[in-house]
Amino acid sequence: MSEWTSFISDLLEQMPLILTGLGKTLQLASLISFTGFLMGVGVFYLTLSQKTIIRRLINGYISFFIGMPLIVLLFLMYYGLPQWGIKLTPFSVAVIGFTLNVGAYNAAYLSSAFNGLDRSELEAAIAQGFSHRQLFSLITLPQVLRLSIPALTNQIINNLKDSSIAFLIQYTEFFARVQELASTNFQFFKAYFFAAMVYLFLVSIVVVFARALEKRIMIPGTFR
Amino acid sequence: MIEINNLVKVFDKQTVLAGVNLSLIEGEVKVVMGPSGCGKSTLLRCLNRLIEPTSGTIIFRGEDITKSEVDVRVLRQSIGFVFQQFALYRHLTVLDNVTLALRKIRGMNRIEANEKAMHELSRLDMAIHCNKYPSQISGGQKQRVALARSLAMDPAVVVFDEPTSALDPIMSREVAMLIKKLHHENVTIICVTHDLLLGRHLSERVAFLDHGIIKAEDTFENLCNNHSDPQIRSFFECEATLA
Repeated sequence: MSEWTSFISDLLEQMPLILTGLGKTLQLASLISFTGFLMGVGVFYLTLSQKTIIRRLINGYISFFIGMPLIVLLFLMYYGLPQWGIKLTPFSVAVIGFTLNVGAYNAAYLSSAFNGLDRSELEAAIAQGFSHRQLFSLITLPQVLRLSIPALTNQIINNLKDSSIAFLIQYTEFFARVQELASTNFQFFKAYFFAAMVYLFLVSIVVVFARALEKRIMIPGTFR
Repeated sequence: MIEINNLVKVFDKQTVLAGVNLSLIEGEVKVVMGPSGCGKSTLLRCLNRLIEPTSGTIIFRGEDITKSEVDVRVLRQSIGFVFQQFALYRHLTVLDNVTLALRKIRGMNRIEANEKAMHELSRLDMAIHCNKYPSQISGGQKQRVALARSLAMDPAVVVFDEPTSALDPIMSREVAMLIKKLHHENVTIICVTHDLLLGRHLSERVAFLDHGIIKAEDTFENLCNNHSDPQIRSFFECEATLA
């Protein structure tokens, strides 16, 4: 019992730092979810290009960033680039690295959803005289986004969880603060269990919002 | 109004249209029939350049629309296309399906577009369903909405691609009557189908497309009983027997 008292006492003592870390985690996760989403939409748009060379380049981009472990990318940018004279802050590296990675995943989700669309609707839109850009923004994207909501929200959950690896490039987010807490009192199980509960709580909030969003935009008479 | 001269379309090494000649005058209903894979849908898609013809000309209102300088988006707005599978935008309501092009292509504001759309939907008895989504209406109703969507753009000609193939016999008859009604309102129509009942309902004459060429254009009776080509007689006899 005294172990718990001591742990809680240390936790409360370090709470301001932990809350600051939590704020940084939320800041990073929100920002990369947003930039990764925009990047995903942009990359997805280019996968539909009529120019073969663009499609090949974009498919190469998607394969490269899905294939490369995120931690390698972050280390490459944070520890590797300074050797080329490019020095970025941990936050910048995290945002750029995650955006490139998350954008590739989001584009892949959107492309998969696109394959499930009824092509006759796209042909009908072209036959009506819509431009390719209008076709994308008015017909393709609204449907593809709707179909991709489960995958896109799962990606937000992954972003939240994966943001913890940013502490490895000196970004002092929530998990880094919990590490500090654990190393001061050596109560590793309690500290990491606390971290797990906090992540679980945050993920639950995202899940609740995602389900509400899915219900809200579901087309009546369909299951999606 | 439309004159198709020696139209050829080759996909890779396969010739789908091998020199089609066909003409259509204003206010006419042109029925084109033929077996599956004869090039009917390709012919229609060449009309609004959804498919680029390999050679030949299509004179539409005095202009050769196969020329590269033709603004295809403007051309497409003057040719209403009604697809076999209706092709309604499933994420939009019936009303929005009809207003989308009016607002985004014609530049109408929402009130004007709604007014125009409701006029077309009322004409086809679909006004009551304007707030439903495509998934909430029947096949025949979807076909009406697809037609209202085309008519709202005031096209010079309405093109039907197998309009009854996805419908049951009752709905097919309903669509046939609808197309006939449009004809009486002086709308110019091209309809490709292999539904003989529909063809007979729409026009006394029919063009028979086979292996990428118009092999005959005559009345149903003549094609069925008196044509010299046994294959054509057989096609229409067979269809007549089934009908």
